[in-house]
Amino acid sequence: MTNDSTHAATAEVTAIDTQARVPLTLLLAAGLIWLVISGVLGVITSIQLHTPGFLADCSFLTAGRAQAMRETSFLYGWIANTGLAVVLWVLGRLGGSPLRALNWTVAGTIFWNLGLAVGLVGIGLGDMTSFASFQLPRYVGVLMLFAYAAIALPGVLAWSGRRSHGLFASHWYGVAALFLFPWLFSAAQLVLLWSPMRGTLQAVAGGWYTQSLWSLWLAPLALTGAYYIVPKVAGRLMPSYDFAPLGFWTLIFIGGWTGGRHLVGGPVPAWIPTMAVVACTMMLFHYILVGLNLRIASQAGGTAIKFIRFGLVAYVLTGTLDALTSFRVIAVETQFTFMATALEQLGVYAGISMMLFGALYYMLPRLTGRPWASAALTTGHRVLVSFGVVLLVATLAVAGWTQGSDLLDSKLALGEIFNRLRVPLMVGTAAQIALVAANLLLVVNFFRSACVCCATSTPSETPFRQPSALEAHAS
Amino acid sequence: MKNGFIFLLGLFTAIALSWAGIVLGTHAQLGALTPYYDDTEGKSFPERTTGIAASGQLVYADLGCAACHTQQVRRPDYGSDQARGWGERQSVARDYIHQSLPQLGASRLGPDLANLAGRKPSAPDAEDLLKLLYAGSLTHPPYKFLFEQKSIVGESSARALRLTGNLAPAPGHEVVPSDRALALVGYLLSLNTAYDYPESLPATPPAAGHAPDTKQEAKK
Repeated sequence: MTNDSTHAATAEVTAIDTQARVPLTLLLAAGLIWLVISGVLGVITSIQLHTPGFLADCSFLTAGRAQAMRETSFLYGWIANTGLAVVLWVLGRLGGSPLRALNWTVAGTIFWNLGLAVGLVGIGLGDMTSFASFQLPRYVGVLMLFAYAAIALPGVLAWSGRRSHGLFASHWYGVAALFLFPWLFSAAQLVLLWSPMRGTLQAVAGGWYTQSLWSLWLAPLALTGAYYIVPKVAGRLMPSYDFAPLGFWTLIFIGGWTGGRHLVGGPVPAWIPTMAVVACTMMLFHYILVGLNLRIASQAGGTAIKFIRFGLVAYVLTGTLDALTSFRVIAVETQFTFMATALEQLGVYAGISMMLFGALYYMLPRLTGRPWASAALTTGHRVLVSFGVVLLVATLAVAGWTQGSDLLDSKLALGEIFNRLRVPLMVGTAAQIALVAANLLLVVNFFRSACVCCATSTPSETPFRQPSALEAHAS
Repeated sequence: MKNGFIFLLGLFTAIALSWAGIVLGTHAQLGALTPYYDDTEGKSFPERTTGIAASGQLVYADLGCAACHTQQVRRPDYGSDQARGWGERQSVARDYIHQSLPQLGASRLGPDLANLAGRKPSAPDAEDLLKLLYAGSLTHPPYKFLFEQKSIVGESSARALRLTGNLAPAPGHEVVPSDRALALVGYLLSLNTAYDYPESLPATPPAAGHAPDTKQEAKK
């Protein structure tokens, strides 16, 4: 691992990084704790799928509630905290001066995670809403919005007060992620919880939120890191960079229109799923352009790049499969099955999370000024998490496909279909356990690396360099 | 893309457009949907939900039943919903206008429940559902926390479940469903899409010889 970009000895450390050490490390630590919590919940829900009686007596963990808690802690705990840390860091570096108002980030982090914890307890007690990826109870919504604004403030200041006039691709994605989430979240709160729409219109608005969350927040959070790190590590200008704006605006303008993807054949106006087919197909431009821009990831090495490469392949694959399964002929087979779960995991775990892992591995040594505590743990995490996520998505996809074709055969009773699903679902549990184990390795490594740095005096700071000039150079 | 203001304006336009198109668009189309008044029957459909059904829907939502059950029957030629006996016709938006929390669901690990009380030939009754909730089955988790096991004082409760075999409570004890369990069952038994709205009939005339559709035709 001599020439590894996650090794601080070869990395440039600037004043921007040392200033932001504590707030950003706090965000990352919060993200990792939620990752483990959601992993444990993932094991529980996955056991409940093949053994329905498991923990059924505990009203706190009915299958529906445990599933909602798993998803919420994953999206709003792990991805939100880590993604925001990555975006703030990248915007600070591109802004050319140390992040300002970082106290707000610390306060925001505390309240965001407090709100999330209250929300999860609320779900356990039965206050969940019934919309996918929007299960947080109504009473934490406002707190979460204010906390989010506080976390994001330094990023906005870094962007508006940047020294260079240009905007880079990672700027676009970072700023979009920071600004769009509050709009999305408050718009959804308004029409789903405060003044609910009538009947099935709730499902339409819920679908709009879920899909917008993916394309206007989760994907930009991860792509901010990928667009910043890949050209830097590869040491090359980004190929086809002229097309990058097209890729960005396709995602932003078309993303929300894919909202009806899961409502095929449902009691909603038929144009809603039809529009989703059109939008999902148009989104292919975005996925293709991201693939074109970041294809240089295949020519670089290092832990960070290995994660990001994995994430990018999964991300492009998710877009392609989303488009395919939005068509009615295919949806008739995949709708209401584990195929939808498989695609969701492919997107948020194999895609977004793997890119965030890469960014995390790249970022931490620069924040602390020290290499990761253990190279063995790093490798162990990478191998185990890659194995776990591939196994998970593959078993869910197999389960989904059998379930889909079995459901179409009306002579097959549901009990029989269930029996045929048990084996793949049990393998899925093994995959979830592998993922928890892998992420525990990361947590140990993270806290060892972060705490070693807290215990010793600050490392010597190298002279400040204009980071934007480094965007296309090897670190 | 050098101008920050125009960039932000672009972001805002993007989200506002999809919001207006999808959320406000469908609201304009269906937000004012009214119940359908049937002259021959002399009343409107769907009928208003009863109080117990409305509170039962809250129980259904807070337990997260929608994680495994859908409540949307697709049209007869799309999927096997009708052949499985989940509903004679497709669900339409009008079915849900009185529901405060429509539970469309997205997973069919369990059966669709949109027309649970109207199933033919035999719909489950309250006792079947309570027993399933208490005892569970190979595919359904038992939710014993919805029930109370208590010793019989004086006369046994009229609500008590009649359980036999190894499910039977200890002598002198009985299993009584809680109010939440009764509300949930009341809700499940209110799920019925028997009434045919004009818009719930298949859009294209079904082809001759297509078994499920001819049945629908004959019914009309």
